[in-house]
Amino acid sequence: MVNLTIDGKAVTAEEGTYILQVARANSIDIPTLCYHQALEPFGACRLCTVEITSRGRKRLVTSCNYPVEEGLEVSTDSEAVIKGRRMILELLLARCPNVPLIQELAKSYGIEKPRFKLEDDNCILCGLCARICEERMGVSAISFSGRGLERKIDTPFHVNSEICQGCGACAFVCPTGAIKLEDITAKEPRPILSEFNVGLNPRSAIYVPFPQAVPKVPVIDREVCIHFLTGNCRICENFCQAGAINYDQEDEIIEAEVDAIILASGFDLYDPSAVEEYGYGKVKNVITAMQYERMISASGPTEGHLERPSDGKTPKKLAFIQCVGSRDTHHKLYCSSVCCMHATKEAILANEHYPDLKAFIFYTDMRAVGKKFQEYIARAEQEYNVTYIRSRPSKITENPDNGNPIVWYEETTARTRTSMEVDMVVLCQALIPSGSTKDISDMLHLSLNDYQFVDIPDRLFHPVDTEIPGIFACGFCQAPQDIPDSVVQASAAAARAAEFLSKED
Amino acid sequence: MPRINSPAELEELRKDILSKRDPNRPCITLCSGTACHASGSEEVAASIEEEIKKQGLSAEVDFRKTGCHGFCEKGPIIVIHPEKICYLQIEPKDVPEIISQTIKEKKVIERLLYTDPTTNKKVVHEFEIPFYKNQERLVFGSNGKIDPKSIDDYLALGGYSALAKALSQMSPEQVLEEVKKSNLRGRGGGGFPVGRKWEECRNAPGEIKYVIVNADEGDPGAYMDRSLLEGNPHSVLEGLIIGAYAIGSHEGYIYVRQEYPLAVENVDIAIKQAEEYGLLGKNIFGSGFDFTVKVHRGAGAFVSGESSALMTALEGRVGEPRPKYIHTVIKGVWDKPSNLNNVETWATVPLIINKGADWFRGIGTEGSKGTKIFSLVGKVNNTGLVEVPMGMTLREIIFNIGGGIRDGKKFKAVQTGGPSGGVIPEKYIDLPIDFDELAKAGSMMGSGGMIVMDEDTCMVDTARYFLNFLAHESCGKCVPCREGIKQMLNILTDITEGRGEKKDIELLEEVAAMVKDFSLCALGTTAPNPVLSTLKYFQDEYVAHIEQKRCPAYVCKALVSYYIDPEKCQACMICLRQCPVGAISGGKNQIHIIDQAKCTKCNTCFEVCPPRFSAVRRLSGEPVPPPVKDRVLARRKG
Repeated sequence: MVNLTIDGKAVTAEEGTYILQVARANSIDIPTLCYHQALEPFGACRLCTVEITSRGRKRLVTSCNYPVEEGLEVSTDSEAVIKGRRMILELLLARCPNVPLIQELAKSYGIEKPRFKLEDDNCILCGLCARICEERMGVSAISFSGRGLERKIDTPFHVNSEICQGCGACAFVCPTGAIKLEDITAKEPRPILSEFNVGLNPRSAIYVPFPQAVPKVPVIDREVCIHFLTGNCRICENFCQAGAINYDQEDEIIEAEVDAIILASGFDLYDPSAVEEYGYGKVKNVITAMQYERMISASGPTEGHLERPSDGKTPKKLAFIQCVGSRDTHHKLYCSSVCCMHATKEAILANEHYPDLKAFIFYTDMRAVGKKFQEYIARAEQEYNVTYIRSRPSKITENPDNGNPIVWYEETTARTRTSMEVDMVVLCQALIPSGSTKDISDMLHLSLNDYQFVDIPDRLFHPVDTEIPGIFACGFCQAPQDIPDSVVQASAAAARAAEFLSKED
Repeated sequence: MPRINSPAELEELRKDILSKRDPNRPCITLCSGTACHASGSEEVAASIEEEIKKQGLSAEVDFRKTGCHGFCEKGPIIVIHPEKICYLQIEPKDVPEIISQTIKEKKVIERLLYTDPTTNKKVVHEFEIPFYKNQERLVFGSNGKIDPKSIDDYLALGGYSALAKALSQMSPEQVLEEVKKSNLRGRGGGGFPVGRKWEECRNAPGEIKYVIVNADEGDPGAYMDRSLLEGNPHSVLEGLIIGAYAIGSHEGYIYVRQEYPLAVENVDIAIKQAEEYGLLGKNIFGSGFDFTVKVHRGAGAFVSGESSALMTALEGRVGEPRPKYIHTVIKGVWDKPSNLNNVETWATVPLIINKGADWFRGIGTEGSKGTKIFSLVGKVNNTGLVEVPMGMTLREIIFNIGGGIRDGKKFKAVQTGGPSGGVIPEKYIDLPIDFDELAKAGSMMGSGGMIVMDEDTCMVDTARYFLNFLAHESCGKCVPCREGIKQMLNILTDITEGRGEKKDIELLEEVAAMVKDFSLCALGTTAPNPVLSTLKYFQDEYVAHIEQKRCPAYVCKALVSYYIDPEKCQACMICLRQCPVGAISGGKNQIHIIDQAKCTKCNTCFEVCPPRFSAVRRLSGEPVPPPVKDRVLARRKG
């Protein structure tokens, strides 16, 4: 250990560490632009310059790469340091007058308008992008090119790089937003889409699956993590202060002997692109109810704003299509049971967010089977500008001029064929037993019914008992139902299991 | 080729070479350095060879193409030994006469001799020419005597005897002590004590150590290292091997720029010859010491001459400096201890070993020992490479050796130390030149560039010129150097183009101070020197540019106008015909007028106007008088 003082404060540090690291560990702030915890110190921005007294001699050195020494005295804010930093920032602000980061930093040193000739660059040439690409990704798809006035960040021969792996680390680490991945890579930049937000926004390779996840810990997606793909990177390791990153962790299979099993494997969403006439995946402004649900949620990717995919505009006219894949001889014969009500709720929410928004719900027949459900629908019509149209639309096309979907349908009351142009369409697709339902059922030798739900032999008296004693099923895995019904069944299954276990003794 | 296995065998070989050479036999040496090459020495060489044959003298005359003699102004140069008759500016047509008259008849050809401009007398011998007479050519002197492609020539002059002495009679520590005692300071720019550097490298932990020759000289107008490596590569090699022995290194690199093809060629040949003679490789002189050298060709960036940038480039990366808080002698190339010195430094080492540190300390000043080679260029009569003892004054160099200022103009200043050196004004003309005195005067030794300026030089424009060079040659890595130089250049450009403002001087000083203190490497920390030194000594010129929009030297085109004085114009049509842009109107008996909108300020009219009229005037800082209405020339009668 080495003893030194920083701004008069006595501190100890490990040999071989640099002044900046020690200062930050002791809550002494030194501004930096080219420093990054995951990279070798570069010493280029010179903003981290401090004044040291070493062996009786005063000197200005960059703290990011000056190794600590015994008895070193460091001043991070001497007059010479502040004066120099101010000039560096004035020069940088002249280069990048429109970069917020530089504006703010300069302002904090009292510089608002540089006295120099202004340029309009947004790259400060800190080299973080090129360095992360070389040092951590092992790729070197971009680097500095030219020198002096011609120095810039570029790919070899100014063409989009074939060796770029499209990881986006350069753009991520760029402090000024100067790096655009599409200018660098020859590949199509492919974001890792968030499963929880139904592909509406990207997530990182290391992520918490969703806000209420249990257990709430981040996981590394091995399919996309650069480290698992190439052996490089490992940057998260540098940042995790708890040292919790473990690249060697494997899935574990735990064997447990039990006396009763409750199957609650839930549902999946039916792929709406199978219902080809509705154009999902082709007509840009046709989305699914789940996507809509995330969009209208305050904690969703758009923070509750409705933004249609083609241009981000807020729709004024919104159509919900019911029974997309449900009650359909080509797809699923059963009623998914919850869509009439969630479409109504979603239409109400839309109108609450945007009072001039008009929603149309195209339904087969209204299934409001619960206490006060019908009144809810009536309120939607009367108070929230929701129009219910009894019809199964035959197809959805796109207006090429504005990207608006056009819903083609039969006006059943008037018995005429007509169409309606709206701004966005929400497909309320069928719900299906989750994929794991079949796997587990096979394992447990349980029968499934025609629709792949777990078979319940005696629905009337034993609504949660499967054909095998001690195995119970609740929720969507045994039949379509909404949340209250699922909760009721869950309680029932728990009670039945308890009853079963007590009998065993 | 005989392998030399011991110092005794070296002496035998030397005797053998000398026994075959008759010191009284005529020998024509022709300078074949780069400057003479450009002046046509290849053609001269061909005609010498042809003429010797033609006149049947092949058996009686030696002919040797040597390295640079230094007097580049007067190339191609021939020196005829043993008399040392020196002929200058030789053309192929002069050769038959030289062979028939001087070689055969022993007659001197007057017209090819040097004429002393002050006395108008002809000078026969090389050593009597003032340019040479006032120099002390210890390191550079052998250049003119040897064929750089012949190791035998070098051996004949006692070459590799210092290496033999070091390896057979001295321990590495003793070599180190000798160099330390000599107080030799690095000739590359910084002037760091060589012995101390070697010692630090020797003491650095690690088995593998490197020694490196920095031959990446890149200053505009400086070519001493180039000429030394081209003209006497073995002296550099010998110094390098001795240094490696003292440091404990077994691998060396010569980093030479690709744009120096002759240096690359000659050093490659020298290495091959030294290897064949056993002077490089395993068990040199039977001492058990092994050493090999590789040549690395640099891609030609000025900044790659900076030691850490050079080492980065040597590793195959872009030549950019890196922080040297841990010195390169501890962690250099591939993080191994690396000792780098420039060409001239290495070439000085054999002299110190042969003649001793005390001899070396006898030359020079208190703080700077030995001699230094300067590249004397600019507005001086005798441009070329000069080697003088440290402590010689600027006046002696410029006037005694350089022959004074061209065209009888007045001396104004001298820029030393290359682009990031400083300007030294006339009042310091008696400044003794050494590392410390130059630094005190706000300049630096650098690698030895010396650009002489006369009264027609604008100091603001000079600062702008060097900053422009540096702005392009900065690697651009660190903000102070890249952005600071750029903005200083912007301000200087504004001043020279008439857009200067009063606040500019203060702003220049402010930026310069930061760039000096905050830059990453020596290129940046010295880059403000041209600005600071001109501001220090010639601030009045800045003020004239800014406040009166006047360029006192009439250099800055935007501030200069050309005007024909109607009282003096004799309508001789000379300027009118010579104006390259047709900006001058007039005719016979019609007073000439310059169209200011068309004039490109090329200075032609000013130069061609007959001195007896002197009608063309340069104006700066004052408006051009309106054209006269009556343009008919009223010739004075009688």
